[in-house]
Amino acid sequence: MNDMNPQNSGRTPGGFSADIAGDLSSGRAIDLAEVYALHALDDAERTAVERHIADAPPAERAEFEERVRQAHETLAMSFGAEEEPPAGLFDRIVAALPAQQAGPGTDAPSAPPVVPRPVHEHAADLPVADELSAARQRRDERRRPQGMRNWLIGVAAAAAIAVGGVGVGAYVANQNDPLNQVLQASDVRKATIDVIGGGTASLTLSSSKDAVVVKMNGVPAPPAGKVYQMWLIPKDGSAPVSKGLMDAEALSKPAVVTGIGAAAALGITVEPTGGSKTPTMPTVAAAPLGA
Amino acid sequence: MSTMQVDRRPAPWAAGNHGGVDARPGPRSAAGTLCLKVMETPNAPNPEAAAPPAAPADVNRRLGALLGQIANGDQAAFAEFYQLTSRRVFGMARRVLIDAELSEDTTQEVFLQVWQNAAKFNADAGSPLAWLMTISHRRAVDKVRSSQSATDREARYGASSQEIDHDSVSDEVGSRLEAEAVVRCLDTLTDTQQESVRLAYYGGLTYREVAERLNAAVPTIKSRIRDGLIRLKTCLGVS
Repeated sequence: MNDMNPQNSGRTPGGFSADIAGDLSSGRAIDLAEVYALHALDDAERTAVERHIADAPPAERAEFEERVRQAHETLAMSFGAEEEPPAGLFDRIVAALPAQQAGPGTDAPSAPPVVPRPVHEHAADLPVADELSAARQRRDERRRPQGMRNWLIGVAAAAAIAVGGVGVGAYVANQNDPLNQVLQASDVRKATIDVIGGGTASLTLSSSKDAVVVKMNGVPAPPAGKVYQMWLIPKDGSAPVSKGLMDAEALSKPAVVTGIGAAAALGITVEPTGGSKTPTMPTVAAAPLGA
Repeated sequence: MSTMQVDRRPAPWAAGNHGGVDARPGPRSAAGTLCLKVMETPNAPNPEAAAPPAAPADVNRRLGALLGQIANGDQAAFAEFYQLTSRRVFGMARRVLIDAELSEDTTQEVFLQVWQNAAKFNADAGSPLAWLMTISHRRAVDKVRSSQSATDREARYGASSQEIDHDSVSDEVGSRLEAEAVVRCLDTLTDTQQESVRLAYYGGLTYREVAERLNAAVPTIKSRIRDGLIRLKTCLGVS
């Protein structure tokens, strides 16, 4: 039944089960390393394997990871199709880069978002005269978690990516609730923005649904006595409109913010419990909604 | 060379705000704080300057060094990295997705991920090329699965598999020597092993979909993929 390969006799021969759960429960997790590395599992199976391996004894985990690594090397060597990408693609990529390098561990402050403070010192920095001063400025602003200006540039650029048919397959659940209507809209755009204080917010925008789904990932709970508050900043320059609060409990759930058609940007601020009528600047996260 | 393309940018932010920001906005001017700086691209790759042929180990060494520089925000390094690898990323995306626009989107997302995650690259966990192609394949597969039914993918794969067979083992592989080794090693796989691995890799199919397409039992396909990749690994001397 199985076309087993006798030259690999170091492994216990034997059959796989019909499903992944059966393989895992019969101790064949390691033998799934190649199928896993090939991305030939569906999302649920992939998660099940990852969970199993995360809980496995260190030796088993190490062997699985080693086999996955070798399979990735093998695939990269063996499937080498090449094709020239369209001219201009690199320029588009560079145009979409966050201006500030946001590598984890380099500038992600581990402290939770704290008392907002003014950032007027940045006004004098502009415009950037040359590469050196740009680099110096980036370095300076990395040290300032609330270095608003440069950070917002990154936000604007990040939101410009991923226009069009972005996969939302993992979210498919109930097609009728407002959340899924947005996630499954044909015109979704996605962006991920950094949240000052740690973590990110993923945005899924749909102009046709006039809404954006905001999902916080790894964002620390607000400090005691504070909540996150979401705002839409209207295009016409009128005052920001509150679109709801997120406390520690709500933080893990996606939120649907409607009415983005008239909004120029989405902002998130830290406010006293109960929320504020106007945002306390600076924002801890913001994104343009160039619809 | 044009330095930027504005068609995908949020246009309301592109004009007027450039270089200026109200440092301490009141609520009524909050929108004005969201400016969009036009990024210079002084180091865009020169399409004429094709990368000289190099052995895979050399390429990986160079790519590893570039990733270290990219982690520090070095755009020149990013341009060189793109020049060395974009044909591979786009070529794979095209095989998986066929659609040129989806492939371009995928390539763009992959390189943005490279820019943002270069610091996460860990040489102990694999070569730069394997790291890149793993990211790329995952993205392409996610995209094809969310945008096309399995039936479409199978049909499409069937229509193009001859071409894939040809170019995945010919001179499109990084270097001539490696290409020869790949051809020789792929030949050590059984036809059914080769077919199963290729359907999964370039077809974006799950093992279950491969089994359906080949009218084979599900456990059999898992075995073929495992044994095929292990045999290939052994033959290629991947350590």
